[in-house]
Amino acid sequence: MRSFLRRGLGLRARVVLAFGLSGLVLSGLLATVTYGVARNTSLDQRTRSAERQFIDNADLVGESSRAEDTSYIDLLQSLPQVAGGQSIANIPTPEDRWVAPGGLTPEDLPTPLVDIVGGSDGAYLMRYSNNSQPTLAFGIKLLPAEVGYYEVITLNEIADNLSSLALTLVLAAAGTTIAGAMLGVWASSRILSPIASVSSAAQAIAAGDLATRLEPRADPDLEIIVDSFNDMAAALERRIARDARFASDVSHELRSPLMTLRASIDVLDSRRHELSERSQAALDLLSDDVNRFQRLVEDLLEISRGDGGADIEVSTLNLLELVRNVTSFTGHDQIPMTSDDERHQPLIDGEKRRLFQVVSNLLDNADKYAGGATSIRVASSRDYVTLAIEDAGPGVPRDERQLVFERFARGGAARRRGAGAGAGLGLALVAEHVRMHNGSVWIEERLDRGPGARFVVELPRSEENDEA
Amino acid sequence: MGTRILTVEDDERIRTAVRFALEDEGWVVDEADNGEAAVEKFTREPADVVLIDIMLPGMDGFELCRSIRRASDVPIVMVTARADTHDVVAGLEAGADDYLTKPFAPKELSARIRALLRRARVSTTDSPLIRIGELEIAPEQGVVKRGGDEVHLTKTEFRLLCELASSPGKVFSRESLLEKVWGYGYFGDGRLVDVHVRRLRTKVELDAANPRHVVTVRGMGYKLTP
Repeated sequence: MRSFLRRGLGLRARVVLAFGLSGLVLSGLLATVTYGVARNTSLDQRTRSAERQFIDNADLVGESSRAEDTSYIDLLQSLPQVAGGQSIANIPTPEDRWVAPGGLTPEDLPTPLVDIVGGSDGAYLMRYSNNSQPTLAFGIKLLPAEVGYYEVITLNEIADNLSSLALTLVLAAAGTTIAGAMLGVWASSRILSPIASVSSAAQAIAAGDLATRLEPRADPDLEIIVDSFNDMAAALERRIARDARFASDVSHELRSPLMTLRASIDVLDSRRHELSERSQAALDLLSDDVNRFQRLVEDLLEISRGDGGADIEVSTLNLLELVRNVTSFTGHDQIPMTSDDERHQPLIDGEKRRLFQVVSNLLDNADKYAGGATSIRVASSRDYVTLAIEDAGPGVPRDERQLVFERFARGGAARRRGAGAGAGLGLALVAEHVRMHNGSVWIEERLDRGPGARFVVELPRSEENDEA
Repeated sequence: MGTRILTVEDDERIRTAVRFALEDEGWVVDEADNGEAAVEKFTREPADVVLIDIMLPGMDGFELCRSIRRASDVPIVMVTARADTHDVVAGLEAGADDYLTKPFAPKELSARIRALLRRARVSTTDSPLIRIGELEIAPEQGVVKRGGDEVHLTKTEFRLLCELASSPGKVFSRESLLEKVWGYGYFGDGRLVDVHVRRLRTKVELDAANPRHVVTVRGMGYKLTP
């Protein structure tokens, strides 16, 4: 139970509960005390005024009982009574009888009172419940005629007042409890709002927006959190920028020797006829690996640029036109290409250079691992433009479909083909570029369920109006 | 005597390898290992094309670019290790006509040089003189006058102006200008066009900030209006 409370109730619920319970306990206590005091005070007042009246009446009855021919019924009728009060008298002589002008019977009197009044001198008072109504009774034996005089006062009116007071108090307590709970809601949202802003800032940082900072707050209690969070974010940003700069510096430093290698290989290549067959083969190996090396350096630079938080240079592009240009530029124009640009032009806001890499890296990937792409399709809906490239290769196992987009993570299938296959950054760059364009990329089954893979890139459609 | 290329590069290995490769392509190559030496060599014997590495000790590539530009309209190709930074725009603004990123293929450099050395396209009209407002363009002579005074343009700026002047009022996309003036395809760097248009405006417009002739058509490209 305890652990359920710990886990099941959040801070907000706990604060609300605490405020609500405090409200309930305090107002309940207050109401109980108020009720008790009010009850006692009004009962006491009522008792005192009834007592005064009773003593006055008893004196009158006592005076009258000294005469022989007293008409008790008229006498009792003439006595003033407090509200709800009635009188009854026991006349022992000449024969024992009861006189009651209001219709009281001796059964209405509590037996203990009658007993004690009958057995002794003095006035007595008793509170009891008559027919489940709170009742007050006085009694006295008047000498010398030994007349027992009683007054019975029903306290209904007081009981009604008290119960309406009780209802009011219960309602007030309930109101206080609800108000306490609402105060708890307000207080907890006040407490939680900085936490919510911290959590959304942390999410923004996790999503790659490293420049996210919390607004400074005037509250000295919150300032500590805000300052330490911002310090942490700044340290993280510096660190990531340093890592990115390092990768970028390394790539730049590698460009100079690569320049020498590149130019020297070209010089050798233009003289290949002077070389022996063995030297030519060695030159080809050298040339291929310098190309691969150069590609790796450029990809690394590109990745570090993305890590450094570079922005994209956006212009409105027609994806179909861009893909056609990529295929002709990279010699893939034999791949069948379809599109459905009837209703929406496949316009996107993007950076040409990055999108070139997206398309060409996907085509390269198909070349390396799947014997080349078999079809390219550009489609557009109201909100998105999608590019789908299918191949007839071995496909990508379901559990590797995320993995292949990670840096230097080649799929198991690719690894089996030997190390010479690829640099391992191509698809990571695709994912990086697509992410920077607020799009997504994934791998799925081919539409015809045939063997192979389908790489899908989905980009937000440009809001520029169609020029159709 | 063939076309002379002056390469300015402080790294001796790169300089040598690039010289070998360029000589294989049929160019005559002259070398300098710093900016001051390059200025001196260029003053003594002007080259047809200058290749400048931005990262030079002492006088840097931008400064050298401006220095040569003050004296000559020779095509300048800038070599940078960083295509992403402001280096490219700064170099183009300093007066370079085109840029390459290290490591480049010498064949690519040759193609760039050939594109830069092309003569201005003769206007599609047979008229030897094109008039655009107060501008007079004589493609054959390579001369532009504004209100009768000759305006000094680099070869690339001149080819860009002639291209726009071949159909006044027609909108040229960046891609088509890149292809026609620089010989690039769809994936050429649009900044080449933008910076050259800016440079052109400072020379042919009365108020470069409010151009009347070389006009930007938002989202589409540029056009020339009388």
